[in-house]
Amino acid sequence: MRKRLRIYLPFAANELKRQLAYKGAFYLFILVNLFGSFISYYLWMAIYGSSEKAVIGGLTQKEMVVYVFMVYVTASIVTASISTMVSDDVVKGTVAMNLIKPIDYRLSLIAMASGNMAYRFLVPSVFIWIGLEIYKIKVLGLAPVTVMGIFLYLTSCIMSFLIYVLFDFCFGMLAFFTTYIFGMRMAKDALLSFLTGQLIPISFFPAAMQRVFDFLPFSSMVYTPVMIYLGKYTGETLAFMMLRQAAWVVLLYVAGSLIWRQVTKRLIVLGG
Amino acid sequence: MIEVSHISKDFVAPKKYPGLRGAVKGLFSTEKVIKTAVDDISFSIDTGEIVGYIGSNGAGKSTTIKMMTGILVPTKGTCTVAGINPSRNRKENAQNIGVVFGQRTQLWWDLPLSESFTILKEIYNVSDAEYAGQMEFLNRVLELQDFFDRPVRTLSLGQRMRADLGAALLHNPKVLYLDEPTIGLDLVVKDNIRKAIREINEKYRTTVILTTHDIGDIEELCSRIMIIDEGRKIYDGSLADLKDTYGTRRKVSMEVKQPEKAKGLRLHEILGVQETACSMSFSPENSMLCVTFDKHRLQVPQILSAVMAVVEVKDVQIQETELAEIVKEIYNHGVGGKA
Repeated sequence: MRKRLRIYLPFAANELKRQLAYKGAFYLFILVNLFGSFISYYLWMAIYGSSEKAVIGGLTQKEMVVYVFMVYVTASIVTASISTMVSDDVVKGTVAMNLIKPIDYRLSLIAMASGNMAYRFLVPSVFIWIGLEIYKIKVLGLAPVTVMGIFLYLTSCIMSFLIYVLFDFCFGMLAFFTTYIFGMRMAKDALLSFLTGQLIPISFFPAAMQRVFDFLPFSSMVYTPVMIYLGKYTGETLAFMMLRQAAWVVLLYVAGSLIWRQVTKRLIVLGG
Repeated sequence: MIEVSHISKDFVAPKKYPGLRGAVKGLFSTEKVIKTAVDDISFSIDTGEIVGYIGSNGAGKSTTIKMMTGILVPTKGTCTVAGINPSRNRKENAQNIGVVFGQRTQLWWDLPLSESFTILKEIYNVSDAEYAGQMEFLNRVLELQDFFDRPVRTLSLGQRMRADLGAALLHNPKVLYLDEPTIGLDLVVKDNIRKAIREINEKYRTTVILTTHDIGDIEELCSRIMIIDEGRKIYDGSLADLKDTYGTRRKVSMEVKQPEKAKGLRLHEILGVQETACSMSFSPENSMLCVTFDKHRLQVPQILSAVMAVVEVKDVQIQETELAEIVKEIYNHGVGGKA
């Protein structure tokens, strides 16, 4: 384990350094995303304002404010895309350079993604989170999050990250068959923003659809940690939700290994 | 060290049709085209050999190298490198080999070279003492210290190639694969790279497999060469043998005093051989008479005396056929069954 850490930690550290080198683009990215969060904030305020019910989909107006911004914080930590790196490696043929070294390709990608995650956590997320927490206490008058709450939320976030990354690895494998997956990535992102609860909380969907979502890994990516943060899950439900996340981590890990074994058999290296 | 037996690699690609209509048709067609990049190649390489692996573009050189490194899985046949099957045990095999792909870099583009080396040290599990020793050696032969702290993206091609070679050698591999290591380099850098390869081979008895289009690389480094064409091995043997077998033509150039007399010369008739064994050409601008002949059939003095009997000769040059010429001839005609 320690040896593994020694090998893969530099990949994570590298990614952090690389992000720092291209920080201009990254700040722009934050700004655009935050802009989106404010749009959905005003949209929800309008919906609550014109609704006669105080609670919609199990969330009060105040909780919705927290939901909207915590989704932003969570998604920016969790969704470190590795399919982009896979498709880059395939298109440029650099996947060969990874395969000539005695390293596990997927682990090196996950290490890079975790460097990315650490950076995103430190740079925008933690500040927005603190800001939100202050706003929540001072303006909304809600109780501050407990230490246990933070601990559960972060644990859930780490599992969410693993679920997302392992899923994205499987998705990225498509690049080996189609070479170019930009279009599919756009489709995936659009679909995920629905299925993970980033756009609309999953509790807003019809009951039948929610049952389907229960069997998909997507709600475990963003929705679960945010609901844990909001204190919506307690006792057995909480334990079940976190176990479900853990189960998805294992399942997607195994699926990724199987796909990778197939892919390397029919691998084609492009360009010379 | 390396055993390759009856190895083949097919690539399957969807069939493409020409034109816009073809592009649309391609969307609905499930027809596949099978291209055989490597076709039933076998060879074995001993420890400490430097083998030149040559062939025209697209002959299947890189594909063979990729199968030996474990990147590609052969369609048929087996390959073992230092007792390990590379495609089955890729990671174990990777520990034994060093690879340089001349057109790519294995270094981390955005990081200083020193960091790339630190990462490689961890990946290959090189101890501090080994690292220090190897770095000293690499600094001496490749002079990495001049640009060791600079980001890889700012290095010139020559520096990057030296760095890449250094990176491939850090863990002191048993086998070194070099896929066009001197591509695009100037003469001085080329020379340094060749010197480094030779020194490494002598010091550690590292087995080296080298693909190149640069005949100089082969003449200076390789004791043995393999030529491959359209996926098949067409020659495997020593450089001297190749020259002996295919380099049978020699060329004599003579500057003559009376061009008008030289023009009408019918040398093969005088010497009593067929025209294929002795052909001549004359360029009036510089009064040069060039005679190309089969060295097994004729001798230089015979030609000289035959020419001198007719015209007065001012200057004579004798040229051995260069390896480049031989290789060009092999690529053009393919020597198929002869090898």
